[in-house]
Amino acid sequence: MGADSGPGAPAVVPWRKVLYERQPFPDNYVDRRFLEELRRNIRVHQYRYWAVVRETGLIAQQVSCVAVFLTVWSYMEQGDLVPSAVLWVCLSCALLGYGLYEVLGGSCVRERTRLADLQSSTIFLAFTFGFSPVLKTLTESVSTDTVHAMSAVMLLAHLVSFPYAQPSPPGSLSLNAALFGSVCLASRLPGALHTFTMLSCALLVFALWPCLLHRMREKAEWSFPWAAVLVCLAGVRGLGSLWPEGALLLSLALLTLTLVCPLLLVHLQRHKDNIHGPWDEAEIREDLSRFLN
Amino acid sequence: MVLKIFFPQCCNTADSGLLVGHWIPGHNSAVVLAVIHYPFIPGQVKKYLSELQSQTQVDLTVLGSWSMPKEGKEGMDSFLKDLSTIFPQKCWLQLSREIGKRGFICQVVQNNGKLLQDREQKNGDESSEGDKIILIHYDQRKVMLSQLHPVQDVSQKSDIEPSELRLVFQTVAQSQPLFFLDKYDDGPLKLTHWQSEGREASIIAELLKQASVPVCIFLTWLLSLWHWFCMVLKMLFISSKLSTCVQSGYRAVHFKTVFSPKKAATHMEFMRKANIFVSFLLDIALGLLLISWLYRENRISKLADTLVPVADRVAKELQELLEWLMGAPAGLKMNRALDQVLGRFFLYHIHLWSSYIHLMSPFIERILWYVGLSACLGLTFALSVLSDIVALLTFHIYCFYVYGARLYCLKIYGLSSLWRLFRGKKWNVLRQRVDSCSYDLDQLFIGTLLFTILLFLLPTTALYYLVFTLLRLVVVLFQGVIHLSVDFINSFHLFAIGLRICRPYRLAEGVKFKVLCQEPGTPLHLMMEINPLKCSSVLQCYRTPTYSCYPKDSWAALCKKLFVGELIYPWKQKTDKTD
Repeated sequence: MGADSGPGAPAVVPWRKVLYERQPFPDNYVDRRFLEELRRNIRVHQYRYWAVVRETGLIAQQVSCVAVFLTVWSYMEQGDLVPSAVLWVCLSCALLGYGLYEVLGGSCVRERTRLADLQSSTIFLAFTFGFSPVLKTLTESVSTDTVHAMSAVMLLAHLVSFPYAQPSPPGSLSLNAALFGSVCLASRLPGALHTFTMLSCALLVFALWPCLLHRMREKAEWSFPWAAVLVCLAGVRGLGSLWPEGALLLSLALLTLTLVCPLLLVHLQRHKDNIHGPWDEAEIREDLSRFLN
Repeated sequence: MVLKIFFPQCCNTADSGLLVGHWIPGHNSAVVLAVIHYPFIPGQVKKYLSELQSQTQVDLTVLGSWSMPKEGKEGMDSFLKDLSTIFPQKCWLQLSREIGKRGFICQVVQNNGKLLQDREQKNGDESSEGDKIILIHYDQRKVMLSQLHPVQDVSQKSDIEPSELRLVFQTVAQSQPLFFLDKYDDGPLKLTHWQSEGREASIIAELLKQASVPVCIFLTWLLSLWHWFCMVLKMLFISSKLSTCVQSGYRAVHFKTVFSPKKAATHMEFMRKANIFVSFLLDIALGLLLISWLYRENRISKLADTLVPVADRVAKELQELLEWLMGAPAGLKMNRALDQVLGRFFLYHIHLWSSYIHLMSPFIERILWYVGLSACLGLTFALSVLSDIVALLTFHIYCFYVYGARLYCLKIYGLSSLWRLFRGKKWNVLRQRVDSCSYDLDQLFIGTLLFTILLFLLPTTALYYLVFTLLRLVVVLFQGVIHLSVDFINSFHLFAIGLRICRPYRLAEGVKFKVLCQEPGTPLHLMMEINPLKCSSVLQCYRTPTYSCYPKDSWAALCKKLFVGELIYPWKQKTDKTD
């Protein structure tokens, strides 16, 4: 190559940003086009307030689901609800939900046959019914406080790990945590039938309801906010009948979640500063010796 | 150059004659083995020497002449000098001794006629720097019988050059046929060597040696029958578990080694054979001692009488233990239902066991009486029988341990697999790692239920497992102690230790020299004494490498097995490896 009289000296050949060719420039030389390809915030999604509020509805309704479940459990423990009655309600809700699911998903190709669905439900029911005496005596020797603490932790884990983006195939950890917590709670009930009822209820609320909700969101967009509001109201009302202060707390939490948090999100979008693009090598030209003293 | 001559002590007072021995190749030394007296015919001497050479593979030659003048027999010197022409050598030694003096006079004539003699050179005189001659006296019998350690096989080709000392020892040991002829024999040649000091009473030894060969053959035939019988027994699985059968197998192998009609070729083989024989005799002696103690005052019946109550007591203790576990042991929280199930199951087993013992009780005394007689086969046998009796009596503990361990192992395995399902992961068998997996709804549901059940039932199972494992370990420890002592008796090298104490010169580590005579005008006389092997080296060198009983797993592996619930068999007998 040509004679090199020093770095940065203008040469005949222009500088190219390649390293596989020997050039008369040093390896870390970049010309005037330093950081030219830097782009900022190219993929930032501009959130709109009411759209975010709509999406938060899912989180709110999941929290309310947990509240509903706890209400049912509480009533059964106190003995105010008869298990057979709850069982019939659950069964009818399930059938209703299944019908709705079929109606909404009419045009889709079925990935499971009706027979497979029937098989699954038979397995659930038989298994749970068979194991309910064992499940009932499971936490006999564990103290009540431990059981409550464990359930609380598990339900919290369920809420945290719930796949809010894609709720249709239920996430393993969230479903398992919810079921674990419900088994812990169900084993505290007075009879084997109570346990069985509780578990069926848990299955309905935590496993089947999100699938239905997802289908509703896909097919009938308008129904989703109404369903969410309905569930939230049910949760608050249920909790209120047991513990009014709790209901107050829950409603406050739901309102914060639904209205305040989106505001925060939208407000903080301004501070977003993502940089994209390739890296260029920088040469330090400043005298840094002042930092050494 | 220093010339070393090894001279046997027994020839110090021999009559004049020819020195017969061996020049050590590579080192400037010679070993004198015997003295041939007058009269002799040189041709016969040469014939005899060549015969011996083919027998012993030692290069025997006439080294020189020895003269010990007595009254009235002077004037041999010139005669002796002429002998060097009859037996041509590179170097001709002329050793002579005067009555009343301690030192020898030594003259070495090399075949070019040059005379080398060890005379004290006056200071300041010329050249020859004193070609020194050293006479080393050695006890021929001891050196012949001794074995230099570390043992090197004669037939083995080793890269190390054998040292001069080793060559000396080898020469003397290999020239045994030379020592058969004595000066008192009626034959053409009269020799003086260690046998002249007193012939060994070899008649009885000879008779025994002759008789031993047919006896050995007969015993070997008997052993082959026994071996065939053992092969049939080996078909039964139980024979490998009973330590009595194992011990009898070992003894059979031992006898095969000892009674083989082949003579022991190397020193190590000989030591091994001798040791097996001696330890077997000791074993039998101890066994007979035990029998005499057991059967005196009918102690064995008393022992049999206490056996059944002891077994009952053990069963009762176990029952109490189980009832304690079925309650709230140590305040731990057990699942009541499972507790009751397991407890009742084990209690039923104990009930079966004690009824079995009671059924056997009338026969126990007779059986034990006959079994006790088997101690005449050796103390090791008696100890093995004891170990087997203990194993049989605690069979129910072993069963409980197996049940508990299997249940626990299953539980641990299930829990680990379901824990992975809980997190949404799966074990990839192909890649041997944990991968994520999307499960179906029913799999998730049933998996979570099972996980919950197994988790809450874990403390109960773990406690039962712990208790029974501890019991089993106690029994195993006791059996292990018995096995160790049996092993010790089997493998302790009593013969080598006895040899070291009684005949220390036979196991030599080296030699030490003592100055006998250092007069001017005579060569330096040294006495070579054998330095016996240290006791610790004896034990280390002759340690029997087989049959050692060692734990199969290291501590870490054992702990891991206990934690996971795998069945442990802590003691493993190393199978016999022939060396």
